[in-house]
Amino acid sequence: MTTLTGTGGATTKRGAATKWRGGLAEVVILLGLVAVFSILNPTHFPTLTNLATILNTASIPVILGVGASAVVLTGRIDLSVEGVMGAAGMTFVLLSANSRETADIGWLAWPAALAVGAALGALTGAIHVLAKVPSFIVSLGIWYVGLGIAAVLFGYEMIPFLTNESAVAWPTATLAGIPNSFLLALCVAALGVLIERMTRLGRAAYAIGNNEAVARMTGIPVSTFVVILFAFAGACSGLAGVVGSLALGAGAANVGVGMLFLTLAAIVIGGTPLGGGRGGTLRTVTGVLILSTLYNGLILAGVDPSIQSGVSGLVLVAAVVAAGWSQRERLRVFK
Amino acid sequence: MTAISIGAARFGQMRHALGPAAIFAGLLALVALAVPEFLGGGGPSIIAQQATPILLVALGQCVVLQIGSIDLSNAATGLFCAILSALTLGPLGVASPLLCLAVVTLIGVGNGLVLVYTQIPSFALTLGTLGVMQAASLVVTGSNVVYVMDNMDVVAWLFAVQVWTLPVAFYIAVLLAVALWAFLRFTASGQGLSAIGYNERAAALSGQPVRALKVLAFGLSGFFAGLAGLCVISISGAASSIGLGSDLLVPSIAAALVGGTAITGGLCNPVNVVFGAMFVALIPVGSAAVGVDPQAQSIVYGGVLVVAVAATMSRSRNAIVK
Amino acid sequence: MIQTGIVAPDASRVKAAPILRLDAISKTFGTVAAVKSLSLSISRHEVVGLIGENGAGKSTLLKMLTGVHLPDQGRMELNGRAVAFRGPLDATAQGVGIVHQEQSLFTNLSVAENIVMGAVRAGSQAVRGGIYRWSTVRREASEVLARIGSDIPPDTPVSDLSFAERQMVEIARTIHLACQSAAAQGGAPLVILDEPTSVLEKAETEVLEAEIARLREIGSVIFVSHRLEEVLRICDRIVVMRHGELVADRPVAGVTEADLYRLMIGKDRHARIRDVAPAVTSRPVLSASGLGRPGHFRDVDLDLHAGRITAVVGTFGAGREALVRSLFGVEGHDRGRMILDGKPVTDWTPRKAIAAGLAYLPAERGVESAVGGLSAARNLTLVPHEAPWWLSPARRKALAGAWFERLDIRPRLPELPLERFSGGNQQKVVLAKWLARNPRVLLLDHPLRGLDPGAGAAVNACIRAACAEGAAVLLLADTLEEALDLGHEIVVMRDGGISARFDTATDDPTTLDLLEKMV
Repeated sequence: MTTLTGTGGATTKRGAATKWRGGLAEVVILLGLVAVFSILNPTHFPTLTNLATILNTASIPVILGVGASAVVLTGRIDLSVEGVMGAAGMTFVLLSANSRETADIGWLAWPAALAVGAALGALTGAIHVLAKVPSFIVSLGIWYVGLGIAAVLFGYEMIPFLTNESAVAWPTATLAGIPNSFLLALCVAALGVLIERMTRLGRAAYAIGNNEAVARMTGIPVSTFVVILFAFAGACSGLAGVVGSLALGAGAANVGVGMLFLTLAAIVIGGTPLGGGRGGTLRTVTGVLILSTLYNGLILAGVDPSIQSGVSGLVLVAAVVAAGWSQRERLRVFK
Repeated sequence: MTAISIGAARFGQMRHALGPAAIFAGLLALVALAVPEFLGGGGPSIIAQQATPILLVALGQCVVLQIGSIDLSNAATGLFCAILSALTLGPLGVASPLLCLAVVTLIGVGNGLVLVYTQIPSFALTLGTLGVMQAASLVVTGSNVVYVMDNMDVVAWLFAVQVWTLPVAFYIAVLLAVALWAFLRFTASGQGLSAIGYNERAAALSGQPVRALKVLAFGLSGFFAGLAGLCVISISGAASSIGLGSDLLVPSIAAALVGGTAITGGLCNPVNVVFGAMFVALIPVGSAAVGVDPQAQSIVYGGVLVVAVAATMSRSRNAIVK
Repeated sequence: MIQTGIVAPDASRVKAAPILRLDAISKTFGTVAAVKSLSLSISRHEVVGLIGENGAGKSTLLKMLTGVHLPDQGRMELNGRAVAFRGPLDATAQGVGIVHQEQSLFTNLSVAENIVMGAVRAGSQAVRGGIYRWSTVRREASEVLARIGSDIPPDTPVSDLSFAERQMVEIARTIHLACQSAAAQGGAPLVILDEPTSVLEKAETEVLEAEIARLREIGSVIFVSHRLEEVLRICDRIVVMRHGELVADRPVAGVTEADLYRLMIGKDRHARIRDVAPAVTSRPVLSASGLGRPGHFRDVDLDLHAGRITAVVGTFGAGREALVRSLFGVEGHDRGRMILDGKPVTDWTPRKAIAAGLAYLPAERGVESAVGGLSAARNLTLVPHEAPWWLSPARRKALAGAWFERLDIRPRLPELPLERFSGGNQQKVVLAKWLARNPRVLLLDHPLRGLDPGAGAAVNACIRAACAEGAAVLLLADTLEEALDLGHEIVVMRDGGISARFDTATDDPTTLDLLEKMV
């Protein structure tokens, strides 16, 4: 027994060290980026205004990333974020004070939009679980369904502009130099951390991602939890749609365009592998900050903003490759 | 093996062989009843025109689905081909389409090479490629519409010339589908692709060149997507990153799945994909005929995709699906 | 007081009503009777050893005890009540726990979470209303770990533990759950340990023995192992299974290892005497010299001669399977070399091996050899070498017709998907795929696995015929009888190395001779 005591103690320390290093690498990348861009562009990059800009652009992907990484933890994926953002965003705009004067239910428009998102997410999860169809293809379909709902809501009339100016200004208004949108995103991230650390749902998500067969044998209600996590991800996408609509000041079906790449790339570069079981919300927040800083720096350096999705795509592939590199072997089946 | 289960097997094969045609015929009958003038007027020509690019992308997709993978980037690659040829048709003439096809085929091959070398899931890889292709399209066009300046006649005949009221490009696409069917059915490589889709380890242990076949599948996907891009140019004479052809991904996957292709791999009949593509092209007309708002088309596409994959998926009770 | 459900040991050791009582239970798969009318009773505070050869029906029995299979016939009683498990979870809820050979821990979670995760359903206090109470999680886990005499810190991530430590966690988790469930049911737990020592070092095994001694105080244990001396040392009573039946049930006192061997094997079999022993040709077709792969096998010298069958025997984990996979190029080898027709080979892959005339029949048919969705005829033409790129349907039909006739594959419908054939006929199709190429070397990994005796005899006849036509055969047999029946030479492997070689014509080995070198 004495030998086991010794190794047990040693391994605990070793484990703690690995954990710390793992989280640290991403922070070092982030600080490195900040340092590089500060040196390259000392007049425009390291300013408080630009910090607010970066945090503001990071807020929507952070909100999306919290939900999406909860799904990715189980080894699933949710490709529907852009469509769900569109549907929830249009719902929010049409239920708020707007130039079309459709309806104004005040703050209740927020929960209404979240409910639309959660319902679409739950639909994705339910079809995936009940019909046993891979989640990426179901969520691809729901992406389109969401876009279609947004298009139907948009209809054939004029663009619905939000008329409540203080509401439109809210996301970019700052509190102690930090934009409200990012504060909201931090609240969502805190909720995500609570779920994954303190609840059976969150712990089960890690267990499912690690070994789903064992999770079922252990009596974890895998299907139910997966549907709940998809609904949570949908609600996050819905909230992101609201923030996006506020930022636009108008309703648009394509309010989420480009967000899917950004979110997925941020999740993987943050340290949550697509296979699931590791990583989590805080990792994803770091990943979003890395990418937002990168784009901001590139755009300030005069790079064409339209390459953003391309950079996200490359980062996504590079991060997936890096995460899976050690698992390559001769007869591995990969689809 | 009892007579009954053999009968059931044959019935299953029959359903698989004739199902897509029957689904298409059903929708066509619905449209014909609701809008009788559709068949007599320019309807069939319009459907054939819209079905052709969908069919070509779907043919590439079904080869990738055959090995159990998926290519989310091929529609964007096709659009990139359209943009490239819009830019190069003027200066290069006949050489332009060939060059553009070569470029996008190489992009597909590149996908395949990265896939077999890094062993990452195909949907993640091709999602990344999709982002890169979208960015490339935006950068190359400067976010504008690119019009073909000269030599339009190099590609215009594809849809300008009609045989029995249908554009010639449609016949070419159908012939390609038949050729692909023959390739999959009668060649060792085609059988190898199917074996990989059903059971990759068994294929590898039987000496199938698994890596080469995977690269081939993705190369074909790029090639067929390029042909779809040329169709876009032939139809509209212009290309842009948000114009015609920018929305082919979900319709083409839906076409492949309605055509009976299994998303789990191994099972695909390109000739049936023809019916799948015509079905998808008929959806706007059909949904309008039953009173669906044209704005809701995306909902129908997404719904068809989900229903088709759920209906064609072969699954076992205890399998873990992610 | 934390409710761990561990009942205080019954000091008096009175033989109360048995925890488990099996009355004439049977299980049949297709035509194969895996367990035949088996009766067994296990008392509280008893450690029972379960032994038997591969295929004796042990795993089917365990699967019935843990709710994976329902018995076709017979009655199962747990703590005096008749039970019919609705599934593995139900068996767990009734107080039956099993520690499998393959570990089933969540490697990304801490030791404490792994121990508590399953117990949440059985009334653990660590999670209330879906919210974790981490201090309770840790306390509950420490208590259970202390109970089995382990002091692994409960916060350690499982990925940081050694294999043996993981096994202890696994046992702790199983005990925790079984005790809690059994307490809820008002009975004592039954814990099954399925070959827990096969991968443990000696010191680790001693720790395990101490754990089993503690388990005895709580409930009952079924201990399954191939290491007979361990079974004799640890258990109170030993039951032996052979061909699906319980052939012996006796206390360990006075029993020797040799007795157990004899009981496991039945009568002591000798090699079949052949009319003509094929001569060893001057040069082997394929030979390995000093071949090794760390963690799997080492220093293997092997010569495969045309027209001879070399049977390799050994227990699970002896490295036989890995050796065959390296010979076919499925996995690499780090030490030594392989020589084909006198020339060393480099960068060996399955495609090169096939081009050189090798053929490999993997053990896991459904995963590695049969392409179930393709027709049987297409499976026959799956090996691409030398075949024309154009697959003529007429040629395929002729080939399939000939092989279906030759191996008597039924039904005679080569265009049917392979998955619709029975296991034996699937195996014949896969074998025919290779035989159609006249292979020079045939590597067979458990060719009879899952086949009924009739199909097995037919496959064995195919193997003999291929050998007579000049193939060099390497056979990993399911049973020692099979190895003695077919093999011209028998190579015994133990712990990754070769421990003995027998020439069946001159040495006339018996099953006991082989077993002695295996364990």
